[in-house]
Order: sequence, then structure tokens, then C-alpha cells
Amino acid sequence: MSATLGVLIQMALRNLVVHRVKTGVVGLIMFFGTFLVVSGTAMLDSIRGSMEKSITSSLSGDIQVYSSEAEDALALFGSMGMSTPDIGEIDEFKPLRETLLEVEGVKAVVPMGIAMATVFGGTEIDRVLSDLRVATRDADAEGTAMRVEQLVQIAERMRKDVAMAAKASSEPEKTQDQLASLDRVLAPGFGADLAADPSGTLDWLDNKVAPIAADGRMLYLRNIGTNLDTFPQTFDRFRLVDGELVPPGQRGILLSKAFYEKQAKNFVARELDKIKKSLDQGKTIAEDAVVSELVARTATQYQRIQFQLSPKDAVIVTERLRTKLGRTDGDLAALLQEFLKMDDANFADRYAWFYQEIAPRVRLYEIPVGEEVTLRSFTKSGYIRAVNVKVYGTFEFSGLETSDLAGANNLVDMMTFRSLYGKMTDDQLDELADIKASSGVKQVSRDNAEDALFGGGGSLEAETTTAGAGFDEFAGLTLGAAATAGALDTTQYTTAQMEDGLALTAAVVLDEGGDVPAAIERIEAAAKAKGLAVQAVGWETASGIVGQIVMVLQVVLYTAIFIIFLVALVIINNTMVMATMERTTEIGTMRAIGAQRPFVIVLFLVETMVLGAIAGGLGAGAGALFITWLNHVGVPAVADALVLLFAGPRLYPVFTSGNLAFGMGSILAISALSTLYPSVLAARVLPVVAMQAKE
Amino acid sequence: MSGIVRLMDVVKDYPLGKVTVHALRKVNLTIDKGEFTVIAGPSGSGKTTLLNLIGCIDVATAGEVLVDGKSTGKLTDKQLTSLRLNSIGFIFQSFNLINVLDIRQNVEFPLLLQGGLSKAERQARVDDVVDKVGLRQFASQRPNELSGGQRQRVAIARALVTRPAIVLADEPTANLDSTTGTQIIDLMKEINHQDHTTFIFSTHDEKVMKRADRVVRILDGMLEAAGLSESRGPSESGGEQVHA
Repeated sequence: MSATLGVLIQMALRNLVVHRVKTGVVGLIMFFGTFLVVSGTAMLDSIRGSMEKSITSSLSGDIQVYSSEAEDALALFGSMGMSTPDIGEIDEFKPLRETLLEVEGVKAVVPMGIAMATVFGGTEIDRVLSDLRVATRDADAEGTAMRVEQLVQIAERMRKDVAMAAKASSEPEKTQDQLASLDRVLAPGFGADLAADPSGTLDWLDNKVAPIAADGRMLYLRNIGTNLDTFPQTFDRFRLVDGELVPPGQRGILLSKAFYEKQAKNFVARELDKIKKSLDQGKTIAEDAVVSELVARTATQYQRIQFQLSPKDAVIVTERLRTKLGRTDGDLAALLQEFLKMDDANFADRYAWFYQEIAPRVRLYEIPVGEEVTLRSFTKSGYIRAVNVKVYGTFEFSGLETSDLAGANNLVDMMTFRSLYGKMTDDQLDELADIKASSGVKQVSRDNAEDALFGGGGSLEAETTTAGAGFDEFAGLTLGAAATAGALDTTQYTTAQMEDGLALTAAVVLDEGGDVPAAIERIEAAAKAKGLAVQAVGWETASGIVGQIVMVLQVVLYTAIFIIFLVALVIINNTMVMATMERTTEIGTMRAIGAQRPFVIVLFLVETMVLGAIAGGLGAGAGALFITWLNHVGVPAVADALVLLFAGPRLYPVFTSGNLAFGMGSILAISALSTLYPSVLAARVLPVVAMQAKE
Repeated sequence: MSGIVRLMDVVKDYPLGKVTVHALRKVNLTIDKGEFTVIAGPSGSGKTTLLNLIGCIDVATAGEVLVDGKSTGKLTDKQLTSLRLNSIGFIFQSFNLINVLDIRQNVEFPLLLQGGLSKAERQARVDDVVDKVGLRQFASQRPNELSGGQRQRVAIARALVTRPAIVLADEPTANLDSTTGTQIIDLMKEINHQDHTTFIFSTHDEKVMKRADRVVRILDGMLEAAGLSESRGPSESGGEQVHA
């Protein structure tokens, strides 16, 4: 038997040499197919591995547990849909945590919730008025004068805008009214008015002048509520960048550094960062249209710096700009415009100068670390919640610093999450009970509680925090629309208060090397035994859009492999059918001298399999070499989404014996499959053709 | 009625488009063991068809063909193949060697198909027949490195290696020059004498016919009348009469 196989293999090898062209064509397809399978699956496995590292160690844990009554799938990194997905609720986290911690292989359980919120980034006039209020309160004459000067500059610009808009306005009375208000600010006697009645004039400015300015920018924050005490230990990629961690038991927010840099930063600084990034990538202002456009646009935004400088700083910056630019005259506006007209030669120098001289004198971030912000959210039942919370610091996930996806989430404590989400505190529930008793409303569910409390069609904003009242030193800094968020809640909460109660999901971290599917089974069994209506999903499913990216990559790769193999199948099949026709005499002779049909089938199969083994082996080897080379140089994450997939700016893929085995296995299977028909055809060759052969 | 090959009222028709070609018409023939028989006739007379039926690579349309005691019409493809492998050796007009195998491997090939022999036994058998056909020094060469005569010797060796009861040769000298052809026939004759292997071969070469024990003439699918059609050579083996 082995001797027969030996001869078959020898015949196969020699036939491969004899039929060089056929061997070359088929071999090349096989080589390329196996190369693609090995390198593609190795890349995909590496990406999956790196993504697992990114995601499990930054946000999701290995498994996410959430309500089985969820309408939508959990998507921690955001979903494809526009609306906020309904992922149900876990009313009481405590029993779930206790149940999960008893499950074999579970290392840690962290409560989580997702709540969207908005923060108003104020307009320049809001800031100036806010500063002016402080200066007049403190009877700071010099400060007041400087702010008034700024106010006048802003009013001049606003008047031009309004006058322009008036020509097309459908409400001439309104624009006339606005022009009149601005004219009052620009009139010579305005300083005196302010001095005479600071409080009344400021209120008038707040009510009449500030609203004329275009709307301030609204920032959208995606917040993950969690236990901020345990989060940094549980998710080891977490790294504090600026500020400090939220003290244990305190409410607070940690902003994602990526969000902070890309959303909350001063517009000009942000644009300069963008230009620098482009130049670091090798682009130039001179040659790249997008970058030069960016530079031109940034220069037009000089007022975003001009109006942010205090009058004192404005003088300093004007002087230094003159020195820097070698000018003896020119006002701040002109100097800033000239400064911002950058080219490839001076960009690096001016970028550094900007951060050294200008950045420290302006409000570089709209939400400064250490200050308080008012987060507003639409709760599930549709009313608006406003919560004041202190920004303790910024954070990033190491390796994922540049990933927008990884940086899409900010972290808040569970109490704040519950406020944003629409969960009432015990005090509020008591208050609700009182109102219920006094008003005669019998049934108040959480969904209509606010209507019951505040009278349906009336005010839509609810004051959420009543505890911890005291002097609100940040009240004047609360930006934009009237803040009715109440005072900052500085109550010291216990871990139990923070953790127990409403959560949306539980992040489960497994022991090192834990088997996720097995753990999911154990978790679901344990939850079922305890009567908890929850479901468990692996990190890949839980991550939402990111998991879908890998799925898309997988589909693309397997489609490509499928197509290549389909082509291979057809070509090998055709080539072998032709080979069969060419070799009918040989086959007929073998049949005549006693070869059974299965022998002929095996002969052809062996021939293709030997070619498959050789070409496939070379292809697999080339794939392995290619991956090794990539591992050496690294695959750059050219898009932000890739940073998360690659768990860093570069992916260093590796191949496994599994990739090689899969590559070889599939090419041998394709070889066998594609030769099946030709070999059956060959087996049908009649022995009588041997007699017909003429030389 | 004995005989290693017996044909009784054998008819072979081929459909050719809308007409039927009557290749063999009621042929009766008996060939005894050890005979050195030539089937002679012009092209298209039915020589090859007759050999195909005897060689079990085709079956009769009607009548019965007995080869080595087995009625071929009743055998499956697998059984026919087995019968060819174990009882019949083939020598083809165009030699039909497997070009990618060397001489030794070509000769060994039927033994591999048979299985059952050890490597040493196969080796001994191959050496024996290769010696017999005088190609020992060429044993490791490939067919395309040999002359026509040498190739046909390899074919003879391959046909003999399984020690078959019958060796069939379809115009074995047609592609050889006359000297070489004569040498080949002499070799076959010699083996016939030594081993009493039955040789049946077709030819239209008069010189070859002269060396046969018995000549069966065929024309238009029919064997020519006894006495007329058949000439007995010097062989002592007594044969059945041919029935027209």
C-alpha cells in the first residue's frame, strides 16, 4: 500500500514537472490563496487579540451583564443607530454583584450605566460678563475698566453683524431693538451707567445684550457611570492625565483626554493641533490643500483669542507679538491675524510660541479641570435634568491615546449617572410622596413623576441635587443658559450608596486567561438560579460598533478568500479536465493493465494534493514571513478607529500554528474538491482507448 | 471443450451515427493454453475488436466470451479489471509506457496494482523479466530515452511480470522497423517456448505471420473458413478447429 502511494506521489511529482504550465498556473493560485488565508487570518486574529486587550482592559471587561428585558443590544462604544438604545435596567445592583462574584472564574464586578449629557460652551460675551460681575462685586476698578473695554469691542463686532442681518431680517422691530441695546453699550456714557447701578446694568446686559450673541457651542458628552473608586484598578489601561482622581465617595466627572483635546479645547488651539498632526504626518502647508485651507481658516478665528485675553494680558501679548513679528505698531487684532498666517517654515516655532505665550492667558479648555460643569440630559421620560458636577481630571487608556472611539466615553460616578439617567434620589422620592399625599395624585410612576412634581407643561428643567448646599463659588462660571442645576453636591457617599441601586450593566472581569463563552454560561445559569432577569454577552458583542468593525473585516476577508478559492476551484477544475483529456491514453493504458477506477481517482487527487501541499506550503511560508515582517515594522493605525482595533498606534501581528494549519487545510480541501470532477471523469476513461493510441 | 479463450457466436456491433457497424459477426474461436496465435487481416477487418473482447476491455453485443474460464459478459467492470490485471498481459502497438516512471517502475506497476508481494519479491520478479528482455542496463532510464524496440521490450516485460495466462499484443511490430520487429517476435516466441505463456497478437505483416504456430484470418468481421483460413505452424500444441 505504501509502495503504491510512494509511486503515486512520485508520478504526481514528475507529472507536475512535465506539465509545467499547468503546474505554474494552478500552483500560483494555490500559493496566493494560501498566502492570503495565512496572512489574513493571522492579521484578523491579531486584531481580534489586540482589540480584546483594548476593550476588555479599558471599558467592557470580559463580559457585560445587562437586563434581559433590553429592547436593543448593548453597545458600549456606541451603536450604528442614532437614538439612545434601550438596554433595560438593573434596578438593584447589589444582588447581581453578589451573585456574579460567586461565579467561578469571576475576578471583579463593576457597575456601569450609560448617560448622554450636554454642556454649554459659553460665548465670549458670557465670559466677559461673568468676569465683569466679579470685578464690580470686588470693586476692582481697573478690572472693571478692562472688561468694559472688551465688552465694547465685542459689542462693536456684534453691531456690525446685526446691522448686516437687519437687511434680510423678517423681524425688523426685533433687530431695531437689538441695535438700540448695542448702541447703548457703545455710547460714551455706558461706563457711568455701570458705575451708578452695577447690578441693574449687569442684569440688563445678561438679559438684553448677551442673548444677541450667536448661540454658544454645545458639547455632547457620552458618560459611563461607574464605581470611580474601583474602576482604575479593575481596568489597568486607565491612566490619569491631568488633575486627580475623584475622591472616594464623592461625585465627580473624569473627562476623556481625547474628548477634552478634540472637543473642549479653544478653537484656535484645536486647529493648530490639527495642523501640527498633519505636518507630523509629512504633509505640508504649501502642497496640501486641506492643510493650507485649515491654516487660512484658523487665521480668521483670531477673535477667539483676542476676546479671551484679559485687558492686562492683551497688552502683554500685543507687546510680545510686536517683538516676535518685528513690528513697531499694529493692534492686537492685526498682530494676531499676522501671527496666525503661518507657513511651513515658521509653523513649528509659532506653534511652540502659541503654547508658551498665548495659551496660558486664555481659557484653553471650555471645561477646565478643577471647575464645575453643568451636565444636562434628557432623561428617559423626556424631561431635562441638570446636574452640577466637578471636573476632577482627564484620563486616557494607555496605548489608545489617539483613538477617538476609546476616548468617546467620559466617566462619572454612579450617583451622577443616576441623576442624568433620571433616577430619583431618596430625598426626591420622599418629596414626591409628600406631593402625592397633598395633591391627591394616586399613581405616580417614575415616568410621570416629573409631570406630577413640576406640573407637566411648565418648566422642563428639574433641580436634581438639594443636599450639600453651601456657597456656590462656581455659580458665576456656569455657562450658557440659566443654570438651575442647584448647588454642587459634596455629600460623602458610602460605597454601598454608590454601588447599590440602579445600574444598566455589570462589567465582569475574569481571572487571567478565562474562557469567556464558558463563563457566560456559568453567569447565566447562576443568574437564573437566583431569579435575576439578566443576560450576559462577551466583550465583542458588548462593544457595539467596534465589534461590528471586526465583524465587517471578517466578512471582507472571508469573502475575498471565498472568491479567490472559487476562482481557484474553477481554474484548477478546468485545467485538470484538460489534463485528463490529454492523458486519456495513459489513463486507458492503466485501466487496461488492471488499474481499478478508484486508483485513477486517487492518482489525480494525489497529483493536485501534492501540488497543493507544495504551493500551499510555500504560500503559507510566505504568509508567515510577511506577518513576521509586519511584526517587525508594525502596521500603522492610519485611521482613529484602527487605534482601538490595534490597541495602539501600530499593530504588531503574529501568526499561530492555527493560521498555518487553517491555510494548509483549506488549500488541500480546495485541491481535493476541484479535482473531484476531473478525476471522476478520468476514471470513466475506457481501457479500450489504450488500443487506439497511435504514435 | 477446453481452451484458455473461447468465443461462441460472438457478435460486436458499434453504433456509428444512425448506422450500425457490424465489427464481428458470429465469431467462434478457441485458443488453447500455450498457443502462439496470430490474428491476421487487413485494416478494419475486426482484428482489434477481437483482441479487445479477448482482452476484456470490451464486451460482446451477443454471444459468449470465456477467458481463463470466466464468461466476460457477466462480469462487472471491477471484475473485468481484476481479470485483466491477473490473467492478461498487454502489449500495445504504441508501447503505452508511463513516461514519468523509469523502466523498472513501469515494469513493477502491475505488481503494485496487484499488491500482495513484498518489495523484495517484486524486485526479483522485475529483475527476472527485465533480464529476459535484455534491458538490465537500461532499468533506471525513462521510456523516452529508449529506442522503439527497447520500449516494446519494456512493454513485453510489463506484460509478463504478473505471469499472466495470456499475453495480448495489438500489432506489436507496427511501429518498429522490420529487423527490430523480427527481434521482438523472436523474443515473444522464445518466452512462449520457455514459459508456455499463451500469446495472441494481431498483425498484417506476412513475415510475422510466418513465425506463428497458428494464423487466424479475419475479414469483414468474420473468420475465414477452416483449412483455408488457418495454417498451422510447427507448434505441437493441438488447437480447436475454427468454425466459420
